[in-house]
Amino acid sequence: MTCHKHKGETAVEAEGISVRLGGKLVLKSIDLCIHKGEAIALIGPNGAGKTTLLKALLGLLPLETGRVSILGAKSASDVANRIGYVPQRLFADPSFALSVREFLALNQKGVVWPWFSRKKVDLVLEKIAEEIGISGLLSRAVSELSGGQFQRVMIAFALLKEPEILFMDEPTSGVDAPGEESFYAMVGEIHRKRHLTVVLVSHDLSMVYKHASRVYALNREICCQGVPEEILKGENLERIFGQELSCYHHHHCHGEKSIESEERKKGGQEVC
Amino acid sequence: MLKEMLSEPFMQRALILALLMGPFCALMGVFVTARKLSFFSETLAHSSLTGVALGFWWGLSDPTFTQILFSVFIAFGVIWLKENTKLLTDAIMAVVLSGSVAAGVVILSLMKGYRGELHRYLFGDILATGSVQVVAGGIIVVLGTLFLFSKMRSLTLLTLNEELAKVSGVRVRGLNYIFLLFLTLTVAFSVQLLGIILVTSLLVVPAAAGRNLAHNLRQHLILGVCIGFFSSGLGVILSYYFDLPCGPVMALTSIVFFILSVLASLVLKVFKRSN
Repeated sequence: MTCHKHKGETAVEAEGISVRLGGKLVLKSIDLCIHKGEAIALIGPNGAGKTTLLKALLGLLPLETGRVSILGAKSASDVANRIGYVPQRLFADPSFALSVREFLALNQKGVVWPWFSRKKVDLVLEKIAEEIGISGLLSRAVSELSGGQFQRVMIAFALLKEPEILFMDEPTSGVDAPGEESFYAMVGEIHRKRHLTVVLVSHDLSMVYKHASRVYALNREICCQGVPEEILKGENLERIFGQELSCYHHHHCHGEKSIESEERKKGGQEVC
Repeated sequence: MLKEMLSEPFMQRALILALLMGPFCALMGVFVTARKLSFFSETLAHSSLTGVALGFWWGLSDPTFTQILFSVFIAFGVIWLKENTKLLTDAIMAVVLSGSVAAGVVILSLMKGYRGELHRYLFGDILATGSVQVVAGGIIVVLGTLFLFSKMRSLTLLTLNEELAKVSGVRVRGLNYIFLLFLTLTVAFSVQLLGIILVTSLLVVPAAAGRNLAHNLRQHLILGVCIGFFSSGLGVILSYYFDLPCGPVMALTSIVFFILSVLASLVLKVFKRSN
């Protein structure tokens, strides 16, 4: 068993998972334990297997060895309605006329065919659209959205199911720096308000430092894991990324802080 | 004149079949075009020539069964090659298309006296359809429409992104196979009406015309179905009036609708800008 019960309820547990892609071993004997309510970041250099690990946890890739447990189920597909997923930037084809409103309605709980019960659908959609800040986008085609707008729509899509875990795979790739910061601030707010478990793949170490409660550093196998303050130290980063790196801390929090950063402040560790 | 046309049993059958298949193909076409399966449909249509040739080779008077069976074989063959080779779907379909057309023509050439049949399958003959074909077409349309509407949510997610659909609980593999099976049946059946060369016009053109005017998926589906309905029906009527081959007239009518949709979308764009 990878998880210790006294540390809280387990959301995700992986034991000895290995993944082979195209004959190459991409992940080797990964053990991982995520407790409910945590915000976990998976970091590592390009090709470290971060996205592969996320996809393996979600059952999108076959495991060569090991096992995964999500919310007590053996497979993510068994608890699909309790999981939210924000993939890397999707490219919606312009030949598909799907509007944002229609796209969001697809994930609404208890609605069998979204375009028949519009009033019921609209009320819930408009509420969540307001929370995420996409009210003005509902009539737009999904294919017309910018990177940042699309990722916000993806968050709204995931939240409509009222998930217990939110998986995000580099959700801000292709988003500019201010957009990235406001995106992570929004995710931090959602995490705090909804008590979600968040599993995030990210390249942005400063955002990880600011928002994650725990970090798994990966380079085909787990190099180390722990709180960001410990993992994102110079010597660790050098070991993980193979070069000297330092973590740039954003000094403009816009008054928004995730639950973790507030907790750390209480513990005497200033983040911003 | 319309009364005179409808008094002919073969024209009644042709019109019923056109009005059934036209809107249904457009409905399928919305997902076919969005999922970039137009060339796949073309490959299925062309490969059915070998199925027809094999049917005649084995002495069948009506090769519909071998035609559909061979199309299903080709559809699953393409999927197998896609999953088990490093080739792009585009290249696989080019190989399958040229191979099956060549095989079909060679088999037909070995048999004397089947030239007329070759022409019939290349360009279709909706006027030669019997009551059995009308019933068979009706069954495909009813089952296919039920499938599309009951799986609309899953199909929409699948069309947008396969991984997102999978994480959302869609059984992607099964849904893909059932969709491709219905597509194969639709194409194989429609070949008898419009012919190998023109059959994709029924699938692609009304859906593409609908897209030019639609702002969302609901509009796209409704416009596609309406254009499919009117272009097919009008095609049959015009072919009767002008005594022209039915399949090509149906295809041309849908092209006219497509051109009108392009012009209308341009006018709407200018109007929107000026406002």
